[in-house]
Amino acid sequence: MCAVILTLHFIALALYGLATALTLAPFVGLPSAPRAITVALPSAGAAVHVVAVSQLTLVGLGPALSMLALCLVLLQLASERLLRGSAVAFFTSPLATGLVGLALLSGLAPGAEPSAGRNAWFILHVALSVLGLALLALAFIAAALYLLQFRELKARRFGQVFQLFPPLERLDRLNRFALVAGFPALTLGVLLALGYAARFAGGLHVGKAQIVWGVFTWVVLGWAVWVRVVRHWAGRRAAFASIAGFSAVLLVYVALKLAEPGAERFL
Amino acid sequence: MGIKVLGVNHRTAPLDVRERFAHGAHEVPAALARVMAAGATGGVLLSTCNRTEFYLIADDEPAVETVWALLGERLPSSPPGGGGSGVGGVHDYGYIARDREAVRHLYRVSSGLDSMILGESQIQGQVRDAWEASRAQAGPVLHRLFQTALHVGSRVRTETALGMGTASAASAAVAVAGKIFGDLAGRSALILGAGDMAELAATCLTDEGVQVTLVANRTQERARAIAERLGARALSLEEAWPHFATTDIALCSTAAPHAVVTWERVGQTIAGRRGRPLCILDLAVPRDVDPAVAQLENVFLYDVDDLQTVAAQATARRRDEIPAAERIVEEETDLFWAWYGGLGVVPAIKEFRSRMDQLRAGELERALRQLGHLTPEDRARVEHLSQALLNKFLHQPTLALKQAAEEGRGYGLLEAMRRLFGLGGDEGGPGGPGGEGPSA
Repeated sequence: MCAVILTLHFIALALYGLATALTLAPFVGLPSAPRAITVALPSAGAAVHVVAVSQLTLVGLGPALSMLALCLVLLQLASERLLRGSAVAFFTSPLATGLVGLALLSGLAPGAEPSAGRNAWFILHVALSVLGLALLALAFIAAALYLLQFRELKARRFGQVFQLFPPLERLDRLNRFALVAGFPALTLGVLLALGYAARFAGGLHVGKAQIVWGVFTWVVLGWAVWVRVVRHWAGRRAAFASIAGFSAVLLVYVALKLAEPGAERFL
Repeated sequence: MGIKVLGVNHRTAPLDVRERFAHGAHEVPAALARVMAAGATGGVLLSTCNRTEFYLIADDEPAVETVWALLGERLPSSPPGGGGSGVGGVHDYGYIARDREAVRHLYRVSSGLDSMILGESQIQGQVRDAWEASRAQAGPVLHRLFQTALHVGSRVRTETALGMGTASAASAAVAVAGKIFGDLAGRSALILGAGDMAELAATCLTDEGVQVTLVANRTQERARAIAERLGARALSLEEAWPHFATTDIALCSTAAPHAVVTWERVGQTIAGRRGRPLCILDLAVPRDVDPAVAQLENVFLYDVDDLQTVAAQATARRRDEIPAAERIVEEETDLFWAWYGGLGVVPAIKEFRSRMDQLRAGELERALRQLGHLTPEDRARVEHLSQALLNKFLHQPTLALKQAAEEGRGYGLLEAMRRLFGLGGDEGGPGGPGGEGPSA
């Protein structure tokens, strides 16, 4: 089983890696690959990846990273239909490749098997949390693309960014959608974790630092959603707010992981 | 005298310098009158946003120097492009081409080969307008030159794919607005100015679903005419400023000699847009929009140079057509040069024959005075002999000249003949079309 999971992950990694190379080729002066290929490669990678993830036990850092990578690729493919271009892939493609690589390095072996009765609850918690994180990452990417395109348009430069990146308005819409969908998904995922802990694990086994920084991250993300939805921020200000939100998630996660290293738990 | 073109263009001068040299239609007669007063016998002034060129039938001195002086007066003491000032400064940006090269240059201009946007078709209309505006001063050679230039432009566009695609400044305006707004359908546009360029760009925008809601111009009649065609409302310029608060796209193309859209006029209004992007497309030369307006948050300002840069990227496909277009230009240059050479050949041959006949008659008279014993019949025979000899001697040179003119090589032979036989040099044809031959 383990060999199959590893093999499938290696195939997905190779396909994502190839897709990344083709996506980034125009930035090093090479011709753009046909759109059919830049869509087919990550699609094939995602198909293999889905099979691999379906055989994983979703406990531990490796499986979580693998699932996050899969969510990113699936969101990339979906958003490319919305944007009518492959600009999101400039970020998601290398990120997904890196995450699959990290997942392989940190180990994909099954961790502590949750009991069958808890499985659905647990899987929902993991799925929503990872989907929420992937959506927030997508919001971050759309915001970064927005700011880059904004800078080029403002500076009247008409190079690769102008040519290849989508229009500002579409990036703003993608950013809004990903942020507004990602925040409740992540919140619900965390609430499911709390419920799971209370019902099946005999209480919450997390440190104070995790709670304090978790609440801090949630507040920052909530603020980014609030200014977007209630204060009707758009464009550059909203992009900065999204970047602040996802940066908070990323920095807090890295800090907590450094404080309590180990691959057996995602957090 | 000969055909000359001198001026500046997008290759030799930046926009801030070109806009100083740009001549409005009302300035053309005075500028040409000044050059004609300096000895030019024909002149056409072609002034577009990419070039200001004087086409002249003139000697180098003093008409050419007059043109440089005329342009030099428009340069400030310290030009923004960093070149020199006055006449010296013009020489930093200017160029001159003579005779066949001047003809070839105009043909390349009219066919779009010399345009910033390769193969763009707007130049054809601008060449026609320049010719029309300078009709009184053009003279027959320049009439013919401009008439054929339009023909060359048409040939290149129909026989090659040089004009295919949407590589014009107007279509670039649509592309740039599309990078800001995505789908343009339902966006609103305000037009300042009522020139052809504004109308062309507005038409491109409406084709994408943009609603042109307002047309503002200094003269209301022209604004009304365009507004009617676009289904918009006509305004005066002063009434337009508050609408910068609501419009998505502002298209500026007035003929004002200075910026009309200034920070003072629209700064406050734009600040009240609450972050909604505003795309300002400044198609005017000189520019209509104060560059300081671009400092405002979410304002995207593009001038002609920017749009032409975007459009130039679409010209890559057109480059393959350059050799075919250049072949047409060469063919037509040969034809014009043959015609032009032929202009000088006929009067030169007439003068040459007349001069030789005078010599023959003089020598015959002197000889007959010494041969007083000859009978009238013998005298007639001698006269006939002299005439026959003259005809034999002149036959081959006359044929060679005519043939050379037909092949477009008359210029060199005519010059040689003038020098060898001391003929006058001011009677039409290449190198001296003072009379300029037949009218076109």
